[in-house]
Amino acid sequence: MATETQAKITWPEGVRLPILLTFEHQSGEGAPLFPGDRPNYMVGGAMQYGARRGIWNVLELLDSLKIKTTFFICGTTAERYPDGVQAIHAAGHEIAGMSYSFDRVRTLSPEREQSIIARTSKVLQDTAGVQIRGWRCPDYRVSPNTVDLLAQEGFVWDSSLLNDDLPYLFECAGRNIVEIPFTTSTADKTFIGYPYPQRGGPDGLANVWNNEFEVLYQESQRAARFMILSLQTWAIGRPAPLRMLKLFLEHLLGHEELWFARASEIAASCRR
Amino acid sequence: MWKEKHPNNAPKWPAGVRLPIILSVHHQSEEAAAVFADGQLDPFDHSEKQYGGRRGAWRLLEIMAKHGVRGTWLICGATSEKYPQVSREVKKAGHSIAGHTYEHEMMCNLPPEKELELIRKTVSVFENLLGEHLRGWRTCFASHHTMDLLLEHFDFQWDGSMWNDDLPYMGEGHGHEILEIPFASYSDAALAVQITNPFPVNPYVTWLSNTPDFMLQALKTSFDALYERAAQKAVMMPLAVHDFIVGRPSRSKILDEFITYAKQFEGVAFTTHDELAGWWRAYMAD
Repeated sequence: MATETQAKITWPEGVRLPILLTFEHQSGEGAPLFPGDRPNYMVGGAMQYGARRGIWNVLELLDSLKIKTTFFICGTTAERYPDGVQAIHAAGHEIAGMSYSFDRVRTLSPEREQSIIARTSKVLQDTAGVQIRGWRCPDYRVSPNTVDLLAQEGFVWDSSLLNDDLPYLFECAGRNIVEIPFTTSTADKTFIGYPYPQRGGPDGLANVWNNEFEVLYQESQRAARFMILSLQTWAIGRPAPLRMLKLFLEHLLGHEELWFARASEIAASCRR
Repeated sequence: MWKEKHPNNAPKWPAGVRLPIILSVHHQSEEAAAVFADGQLDPFDHSEKQYGGRRGAWRLLEIMAKHGVRGTWLICGATSEKYPQVSREVKKAGHSIAGHTYEHEMMCNLPPEKELELIRKTVSVFENLLGEHLRGWRTCFASHHTMDLLLEHFDFQWDGSMWNDDLPYMGEGHGHEILEIPFASYSDAALAVQITNPFPVNPYVTWLSNTPDFMLQALKTSFDALYERAAQKAVMMPLAVHDFIVGRPSRSKILDEFITYAKQFEGVAFTTHDELAGWWRAYMAD
């Protein structure tokens, strides 16, 4: 069983606060079905937007600001919409896994969960030609075996937990996994997702991100901190929220000593 | 059975106090994490709430220290065992400590013997870990037995489990008295996030939340109303925050800004349940 231990964190020389944007990329697999497993074209379709349009809007924005970051991708989305996934890789962003088909692993056997991780790795390898080293559980619901299985499959980091301001380590048999905790308190879908009504709309995103940054930037003067955002290509990829992200990132780019990092670069700054 | 005892004269606070604000920090971290129908803890909610004990509580301690305000920390017995450094720091900083059940149990679902056992267990955690004899108690989900159990078996000075009044009231029974200092919805749980416990896990897996500005505005508006009313009659503002809600960076700013706002007004007193209970007893003795 994985045991948690502290990480020694050293950001690169001159970095005060790393910024990690994480984009979750699915195409409706995560939409809850109606009773009797009937399709939910309302939420499912809204999520499909991410793979059809949102991803291209997001890539365009990141390219214009020259920011490289990390995308969590469902295997089935890579199969159905390979162009977008290949474009993510071609633009220099990091690709990580988010299960094969938004499989909820909480109660699955270790064998079943292992096969989902392996299948996702293979699909993303076949689609984009990359070996993934990072993972986020769909639903953010890990099983008791998730971290150990990731270590066993050669992963380097995971970002499924939400319980800290800083990365830490899991010691597993044979190797360590860097846990990069995130939060839904600043996630786009918390404010502009489902169920309706939206809670804040695009301006709410600006409010919560500015607050978060201000507090963390101040705290980073006296303690190690990093800022992580969880974003959905289906939510942030729409024109209005994307404009708020653009304005926020432009605001950040006016600050000294920030570092837009990929998750693997954050993980590489964390040692035993 | 306990009963209420009503004062004969109009309630008032000590000279110079126009509006008491009891900042009540619920330090319960992952104790109230949601549970699936199959009995398994929700790993998402559990991890999200663990933030409270690991990080959020420390940030709230810092904000209170920065403003030089004291408050009441309502702490679950199990949380104190898991994060003892937080409890020790709370005590060192001079805040009041009150019991908030052992693992945030829903007392309304339990028989009185079990509730009594859990209150005893929580009381002993604070005796053993901090040398702290609890003077106050609060459960979010009181039972019909809570007040009687507190009066019959313990020597609590006050309880804060009720939601039914603007002002404290005295309860008496079993040869003892206890001051009820009721709560209200001036809270991050009411204004900021949807708390899943004890409701079924939300299939949309979003942590439903209002924006920080929404909560800040609601607190300011509530404060303004209470401050205005306080010119005519005694009122109080029981303000509740949770380590895992307002402890997050983006929301911590709400508390920071609200304290700054409220402190500008004359006669605003940030106080504790213990101190306020003393004021109330003194006024009733008049």
